[in-house]
Amino acid sequence: MIRRGIFATFLLVYGFLVLPFADFMADRPLEVKLGYLPHPQLLKILSADHDLIVAQSAVVKVLFYYGTIVGHFMENVIIRPEHANMYRTLQTATQLDPYNMDAYYFAQAAFTWQLERIDEVNTLLEHGAKYRTWDPWINFYLGFNHAYFLKDYGRAAVYLQRAGELAPENALFSRLAARYYYESDQTKTGLAFLEAMIAEAKDGAVKQTYTVRRDALLAVFALERAQASFVAKVGRQPKSLDELLQTGFLQRIPKDPYGGKFYLDENYRVRSTSKLAGDNL
Amino acid sequence: MLPIDIENLSKTYSVKRGRKVLALDNLTLQVDQGEILGFLGPNGSGKSTTIKTLVGQIRATQGKASIFGQPVRDSNCRQRVGYLPENPAFYDFLTSHQYLDLVGSTFGMDANHLRTESDRVLDLLDLHHADRRPIRSYSKGMVQRLGLAQALLHDPDLYILDEPMSGLDPLGRALVKQIIVDLKHRGKTVFFSTHVTADVEAVCDRVAVIVSGKLQAVNLVSELLEKGIEGYVIQLSGGSEQLCAGFEMNLREDSLREVFVQRRDLNRFMGDVSRDNGEILLMEPRRRDLEQFFLDIVRREKE
Amino acid sequence: MLFLVPSFSSFSMRQVQELAITLSLSTISMVLLVMTLLLGSSSIWRDIERRHTASILTLPISRDSYLLAKFLSIAIFIVLAGVVLAAAAAVMISLAATQYPSDLPLAWGNIVLAIGADVLKYLLLSAVAVFFSAVSTSFYLPFFATLVVYLAGSASQEVFEYVSGQFAQQIDPAQVAVIKGVYYLLPNFSAFDFKVHAVYALQVSSQAFLFPLCYAIVYGGIVLGAAVWVFNRRELP
Repeated sequence: MIRRGIFATFLLVYGFLVLPFADFMADRPLEVKLGYLPHPQLLKILSADHDLIVAQSAVVKVLFYYGTIVGHFMENVIIRPEHANMYRTLQTATQLDPYNMDAYYFAQAAFTWQLERIDEVNTLLEHGAKYRTWDPWINFYLGFNHAYFLKDYGRAAVYLQRAGELAPENALFSRLAARYYYESDQTKTGLAFLEAMIAEAKDGAVKQTYTVRRDALLAVFALERAQASFVAKVGRQPKSLDELLQTGFLQRIPKDPYGGKFYLDENYRVRSTSKLAGDNL
Repeated sequence: MLPIDIENLSKTYSVKRGRKVLALDNLTLQVDQGEILGFLGPNGSGKSTTIKTLVGQIRATQGKASIFGQPVRDSNCRQRVGYLPENPAFYDFLTSHQYLDLVGSTFGMDANHLRTESDRVLDLLDLHHADRRPIRSYSKGMVQRLGLAQALLHDPDLYILDEPMSGLDPLGRALVKQIIVDLKHRGKTVFFSTHVTADVEAVCDRVAVIVSGKLQAVNLVSELLEKGIEGYVIQLSGGSEQLCAGFEMNLREDSLREVFVQRRDLNRFMGDVSRDNGEILLMEPRRRDLEQFFLDIVRREKE
Repeated sequence: MLFLVPSFSSFSMRQVQELAITLSLSTISMVLLVMTLLLGSSSIWRDIERRHTASILTLPISRDSYLLAKFLSIAIFIVLAGVVLAAAAAVMISLAATQYPSDLPLAWGNIVLAIGADVLKYLLLSAVAVFFSAVSTSFYLPFFATLVVYLAGSASQEVFEYVSGQFAQQIDPAQVAVIKGVYYLLPNFSAFDFKVHAVYALQVSSQAFLFPLCYAIVYGGIVLGAAVWVFNRRELP
């Protein structure tokens, strides 16, 4: 009887404790969660013949972590995610298992658009390209990064050419390669890349990152098209986006999926108050 | 307050694929203060199931059992019980002294008392020479004797012994029988299981026979022995040839005859002998022994 | 293993002290895990299998106190091992820290807290192991079940947060409900992880260790209560 009472008390206390406890766990500071991995070389020794699984678990850890913070991107909440630690963890994973595509794929998804750590991502991708010699996608990422972010169209064309050679059946690679030889329409190439990535994406967080970015680019693309036809017809730059509305070149100003408002800057370039989540991350 | 009171105890085991086995069928049995009750049955008859229920190792499906009025589920009811498991196994990294210390502490014995009592029981069971050795080095018989020693340690009022004589050499068996008889003289109650009828005959006041989970008979041993007399073997000399006609007869020597006389014919035969001037040299009852009694019950139950 | 910490730590050029702490804590955690698994999963069923219960539990000892005493003996062993390992780790960490001073201070309080929380975690795990031992008839169930609980309990927080986030919408709601149910059922071992605090000398709030402490007591109490309950119903040879 007494035993039952004690047991019931424990259960009751657990019932009271578990929800606040879960809340407390969820609210712990973010830097606590990703943890810390030892130096790759050391980890390689310690993980014996389990280095592949250790690498994969490091990537999964980062993916989970990213999944939890990506929600905050969308709400435009200013937090300080551990980007350096995320990057270091991915780097460690690729040291343990240079063939692990997840690491490269994820680095490309998470560190280029919002964070603009293009050089770091490219270093990682170059490392992967040395091992994954059959893989068109790494070359595709490299080509895209060089073209879209670094505006180095020459090198971009070389990477994309290699991607096209590795996957002759995928028309996208060769089409993009051709485009980089002849033109440099940023928004369109960005869109083409994003569509390709959305089609490929399996992970929810990654897919959403790309989808939101695509929606933003589509909005920018619509605004730029209206602006271009205004310039062609009127012969000067519009003063503001409202002028495009009033003159009927634009039906409505599209929404910024990052929560900002679009405007034209002093150089008549389409911008958003959210800076498309560019620098608060 | 009966030392052991078992009422309508039943136990079913579920074996594979939902099949059920009735190990104990509505057993009712009382053990009285100061008696030695032998619990006799063939292997697998439910002796161990009964005993394990009494010491709280298994739960009965139905019925109840109590020791000195306390239900057997309460571990405190074993304060006045000395229990010897069948083929006991003890923590074999301990020495017998250490093990007895452990046992004594569970009965709340103080250190001095424990010391003298350990020495007493180890002496009694002839284990003193080995009391500094770990139990793992003991022979089977020594472990069995240690089992009895730990049951005797706190001088309880009730002894429940599961096959106390098994694994012992003739010397050991004799020792155990002597110990049981001594316990009775000191007014203790002993309940022990066995499948050896001779053990029951040697020490028990009563015997309970169990076959296939059912209690078949509970009898006073002395009564059984008395009832079991079939006739008498009589040696006589003298008398006429006619005297022995119709009886089984062996001629021992020329003048010495040995006759087996049925119980019902005894009076008539004795009359004839005195009339015929015969001389009786020896007269011995011939019994149907306990074994016969036991085998009859088992046979009847099997049919 | 601990003795190799100073030499291993020099692998990391930038953060020798940090690596020394990480390695020490990981080693301690590993040793305690192995100890918990082996001790906990060879506990009660073995006494039953060797029929020691027939001689011990037929004394006037209740099964409750027997089981709790078994847990307590394992717990004392783990705590002692934790203290010894912590002392060894302290020596190794100070050696490594003097070799290559770091810009971060050595937060001894945090290191002690991290080891203490680790010990608490393994006490909780050993309660789980004792529970499985009380149910089992062989080594395999308690060993592997405890290992699975350990792995799942260490990962449950991350999985829970993942399915609680935005992407739960893309996962089948039934699946999410199951995952959340399992989360509340499993022991949450990530609450006992103070390694990052120890390594980077981060501030620890009092709530951050009081919560896990209460949690361990309550959860451990429930597991042991359940173990007592099943063990009391078990038929012994």
